[in-house]
Amino acid sequence: MAGRALKRLMTEYKQLTLNPPEGIIAGPTNEENFFEWEALIMGPEGTCFECGVFPAKLIFPPDYPLSPPKMQFTCEMFHPNIYPDGRVCISILHAPGDDPMGYESSAERWSPVQSVEKILLSVVSMLAEPNDESSANVDAAKMWRDDRDQFNRIAERLVRKTLNLPYP
Amino acid sequence: MPAPMPVGALTMASFALTAAVIGNAYYQKKQFYPSVVYITKSNPSMAAIYLLAFTMVILLGKLLKKVFFGALRAAEFEHLIERSFYAVTETCLAFTVFRDDFSPKFVALFTVLLFLKTFHWLADYRVDFMERSPVITLLFHVRVTCLLLLLSLLDLVLVNHAYHSTITRGASVQLVFGFEYAILLTVALNIGVKYVCHTVDLQSENPWENKAMYLLYTELCMGFVKVVLYAVFMIIMIRIHTFPLFIIRPMYLTMRSFKRALNDVILSRRAIRNMNTLYPDATPEELRAVDNVCIICREEMLTGAKKLPCGHIFHASCLRSWFQRQQTCPTCRMDILRQPPPAQGGAAGAAAAARNAQQPPTPPAQPQTPQPQQQQRQAQQQMPNPFAGLFAGMPMPVGPPPVGLPPFPFPPMPMHQAQQQQAAAASASASTTEAGTSSSTTTTSTSTSSSASSTGQAGGAIPTAPFNMLPPLFPLLPFNIPPPPPPLNFAAMTEDEVRQLEGNERQHVEARIKVLRNIQTLLDAAVVQMNQYASVVASLDMNSQSIPRNATPQQAGATESASAPEPSSSQAAEPMVGAAADRANSRDPDSLKEATSVTSNDEAARSEVTSSTSVAASPSSLSSTTTTSASADTSTPDELHPDSPQEIRRRRLERFTQNT
Ligand SMILES: [Zn+2]
Ligand SMILES: [Zn+2]
Repeated sequence: MAGRALKRLMTEYKQLTLNPPEGIIAGPTNEENFFEWEALIMGPEGTCFECGVFPAKLIFPPDYPLSPPKMQFTCEMFHPNIYPDGRVCISILHAPGDDPMGYESSAERWSPVQSVEKILLSVVSMLAEPNDESSANVDAAKMWRDDRDQFNRIAERLVRKTLNLPYP
Repeated sequence: MPAPMPVGALTMASFALTAAVIGNAYYQKKQFYPSVVYITKSNPSMAAIYLLAFTMVILLGKLLKKVFFGALRAAEFEHLIERSFYAVTETCLAFTVFRDDFSPKFVALFTVLLFLKTFHWLADYRVDFMERSPVITLLFHVRVTCLLLLLSLLDLVLVNHAYHSTITRGASVQLVFGFEYAILLTVALNIGVKYVCHTVDLQSENPWENKAMYLLYTELCMGFVKVVLYAVFMIIMIRIHTFPLFIIRPMYLTMRSFKRALNDVILSRRAIRNMNTLYPDATPEELRAVDNVCIICREEMLTGAKKLPCGHIFHASCLRSWFQRQQTCPTCRMDILRQPPPAQGGAAGAAAAARNAQQPPTPPAQPQTPQPQQQQRQAQQQMPNPFAGLFAGMPMPVGPPPVGLPPFPFPPMPMHQAQQQQAAAASASASTTEAGTSSSTTTTSTSTSSSASSTGQAGGAIPTAPFNMLPPLFPLLPFNIPPPPPPLNFAAMTEDEVRQLEGNERQHVEARIKVLRNIQTLLDAAVVQMNQYASVVASLDMNSQSIPRNATPQQAGATESASAPEPSSSQAAEPMVGAAADRANSRDPDSLKEATSVTSNDEAARSEVTSSTSVAASPSSLSSTTTTSASADTSTPDELHPDSPQEIRRRRLERFTQNT
């Protein structure tokens, strides 16, 4: 009998493989260790991140799903809710009780009801609609508010970078 | 493993240097013994030899690592580097205390210690890894078993050595080593227990429910042993030398983890107790009703499922581990501690009584006023669900009756509305009315004169009352600090306990009055609702489906604001005594609208009271009531979209009333 966390991660992996949500691919980096996942997220259509394919890694705690995983983009990102080092700051990834930004109600926090799929879908919607109330990247938040054109240009550069396209 | 180059270069260099040193010595002395003597006398030569020894140790370590662990994972390596850094600094600090003992021998011992430490850490990571990987090979088991045996043996031998050395030669740096190895021994034991648990769990087909518990207790015991060891070591060091600065950090970490383990044990015990006493097992029917999957582990629930008061069902074991983190329902986040399930009210009441009994006894300050308090308690008792209690029957089915007091002393109150009511809903609303008057009487008996006017309104059948009173009073309803759930059964308590439970301070009395007023308002609203509803139903003679009984609060606000500009309802305090009934009888469409709005208003209010202990539920309904009040006060004309559902419903209702 494998550990509870492992079993649940295997279940989720099977689920994600059998019927993957659109624009999201995720799975363990190495099938010997189910607690480190890789995910590829397509930039949502109609946003400045459209067409981009953004790689990220997910690190699960030993007591998953009681505690939330950590998520970090492994490519360069410029977004109000992503720290400059790639860590994602959304409420679903925070356990109730710890509130680094102080803006979130506990209703949208982590609970075992959440799943990898829900996290990734939240990240997709976060890419589409940044939440500039709790900003992990102040520069990006400011630019998103004040200078949307510049923000879009940077986003396009990042998108091209993830696709290995030259930036004009 | 990164950084192979420096090690390779180091190995090469040290071998070359040693060869050069030996070659030089042999070249100069030509014979074996003189060469050896020459090397030992020459510092540079000895340095080269030490370097070689150091290299050999590193190579040996790498070999052992290869044998016992294979390739290290990146995370393991990172942890290792970080912890080694602290270990080295701390041991260097320790050496400053024993600087007289400093010699190559101690450097060697120190290196061995560091190696053993890293091997303990690695073993720990590996055993933890057992829970994370689906593939555990036989090689893994062999490696871990051998490693653990070897490490424990080495620890034992070295502790023994240090002990004898300290006994025979007095306190030296051996004391530090012996202590370090004793700590490592506990670590090794802890890892061993963990390994055994994981292995047993892996072998069995079914999940081993108590594994977490065993691990927790192991951690607790080992934490305790470590704390004791640190304390003993500290005392010894202070008596022999000075304050041992270098153990501050590890000691602090150990104490913290011990505290955490203790906390975990307490929380999990509490969770288990709650699980066993408070929540019923889910029946097979209930399991079939939901989709049978535990949302925590995403597996099917066959047996051992528990049902929370909110109706959500989980595995008992999953729930237990979750309750160690948080006392909320994983699905709906209902606070399970604040809402004792009604079936187990007796137990919760006993607990509350026990809590109260621990407080210093406060003899009643005004012995002449126990009777109103008794009444208040009865009213307060029903607070979680006043309607259920009131409709169920008048004499309260709880505990010993208040001493020398009829259950509900009815004052001579006018009850016109009972005559005005239609026969359809007469009995139900009559009981509501009685309850309303009685509770308001209770209020007047203790409260200030401000409630007198509202009492008069309540007695006088009062359609306006909700409009004038609801807005200011409703924000009071969701208590910021919910009062402790009152016990449902007083039979098990003595007179004194009951009196202590009551509390005589001013704030208690005020809180009680507030609660009573809220109940009164609710009851008034209910009376109005029942009156109007009954009259509307009777006069329209239609099935109640067409009336939007469960209109949402927003719709209520909209409908109300639609009717607000009309003169009849904007006359506020005036003698609305019979107005609503009259209008209802005269088939005025307005009354319909008002009836529906009151209905929904009241439903919002009821839901607020029934869930008044769960603060999280209230904001939406709270905001809806405030919206209602705002729109009613300002009498803003509605700007409803002609196609909006509210508007459509309004038009349909109008047509309906015209037809009949
Ligand atoms: Zn479960
Ligand atoms: Zn629930």
